Amino acid sequence: MNDEQILEIINTRFAGRVRDVSHPHARRIFFAADPKDLPAVIAGLKEAVPGMWYIATISGVDLGETFEIVYHFGHDNGAVNIKTRVPKAAPHIESITSIIPGAVLYERELQDMFGMTIERIPDPRPLITPEDWPAGNFPLRKDWTFERVPEVIPGGKK
Amino acid sequence: MKFQIPIGPQHPALKEPISLRMTVEGEVIRDVDIRLGYNHRGLEKLAEQRNWTQNIYLTERICGICSHSHTTCYVQGVEKLMEIEPPRRGVYIRYLVSELERIHSHLLWLGIAGHEAGFDSFFMYTWRDREVVMDLLEMISGNRVHYAMNTIGGVRRDVDTALIQKILDGIKILRERSEFYFKIGANEPTFVGRLAGVGYLSKENALALCAVGPTARASGVARDVRKNDPHAFYDEMPFDLITADSCDVLGRTVVRIKELMESYKICEHLLKTLPSGDIAVKAPKKAKPNEFVSRYEAPRGENIHYIKSNGTDKPERLKVRAPTLANYPATIEMLRNGFIADIPLIFAAIDPCICCAERTVELVNARSGEESVVRFSDLRTLAAKRASNRTAKGNVPWPL
Repeated sequence: MNDEQILEIINTRFAGRVRDVSHPHARRIFFAADPKDLPAVIAGLKEAVPGMWYIATISGVDLGETFEIVYHFGHDNGAVNIKTRVPKAAPHIESITSIIPGAVLYERELQDMFGMTIERIPDPRPLITPEDWPAGNFPLRKDWTFERVPEVIPGGKK
Repeated sequence: MKFQIPIGPQHPALKEPISLRMTVEGEVIRDVDIRLGYNHRGLEKLAEQRNWTQNIYLTERICGICSHSHTTCYVQGVEKLMEIEPPRRGVYIRYLVSELERIHSHLLWLGIAGHEAGFDSFFMYTWRDREVVMDLLEMISGNRVHYAMNTIGGVRRDVDTALIQKILDGIKILRERSEFYFKIGANEPTFVGRLAGVGYLSKENALALCAVGPTARASGVARDVRKNDPHAFYDEMPFDLITADSCDVLGRTVVRIKELMESYKICEHLLKTLPSGDIAVKAPKKAKPNEFVSRYEAPRGENIHYIKSNGTDKPERLKVRAPTLANYPATIEMLRNGFIADIPLIFAAIDPCICCAERTVELVNARSGEESVVRFSDLRTLAAKRASNRTAKGNVPWPL
């Protein structure tokens, strides 16, 4: 299925629920959707674009007041990227694992790195950060900086 | 009665730290839990503080085996953001190194598969032949592991006629050897008996769990970025997409050996049609605010970089997804209902690269372990001295 056919599906089937549809390069389609419409749009696209529809990854971007989440999907002729935005004050988003089970690791990564809350995720444990990671530290937020804990040598340094 | 046995983070069967927690009933694995993070050093955060050129060296150090894959994926994205077109000769050399890297990675994996299956002579044979391609890579780039070939706008080193002949000779030897391995891999009864039926992953599961690379292709999923989303010139390359339907470790072995043959074909085609001209163009320092999704078929599967620029000389965001991470959900499925004795074989069969999956910076200590501080100007003088003594001189002046 080529870019034009997919663009037509996006523009006709999901009219009103998607915006900013763009096609900047060959085999790359970007569009935005609201968080509440997202599961329905993804499920609909998965059905409409046959073949090897799968999630490549989910990228989080810190935009200051909001988080942008980009879902990168691959299919047998390119990639479709769906963007959505959630406020930083209440970063809640629905899990898409019921539609695409392989997304669970990327959603856990979002929780670890940006402190988002993924609703109805089957496995909410931290993926990358260790068990004793201090609460409220989300490394990929722009306002987070790393400060090395000063080394304390028992008995003092000689 | 169910027991939990931990494997890793440090375990003789694993070459890199990862924790697998198996729930077993007797000898049979009922459930698997994978815990990551032992190798995470925050590369994505680091990338936001470095400029476009510095990040080439950072992405190179994501992985020690597919180092060229990560830089190529990054560089081809940044070139799109900066709206520059690398010269055709540069692109050909870039993907020549890519294919040689795929050959060395697949040969390495074949050796590990032989070793995990208890077939150590196979391991020694493949690793001996892997030296052929490692030597070729060293002749092209000067390095065995971190080739440092890519730069924004092209590649950093040219190949000359003598070197092209050497590469062609090396590929001829490797092709003969790979045909022999294929014969062993498909016919040797003990090897086939050990691998067949182990680590079953059905096509439905491979699709649902978003497996990539040879893992997906061995389950009959025709998923290869070089065919589905051809970056650079792969749409005009003569090669076939290899799949297998056996869905087990044997299938993954066969797929990798057949892919070696396809890579030889691509390398020969690249060298025979190598265009003349420059190898790199000058790249600007900054990139306009934009974004690009760069995809690349690494030896282990699809590698994807999401690069967002903000008008400065540093990226706003660099998201890296290495293929191993995508294969973990599928690995859990493969291990389930298998035997404890098959864990190393199944886990090795996805060709896991844990430092890739966790995007670390891997720094290997020098042999002596001594630390020394060298001024940048001294380094530059040393580099200039070394370049003037080089026997095979590149025929193109360094443009940057």
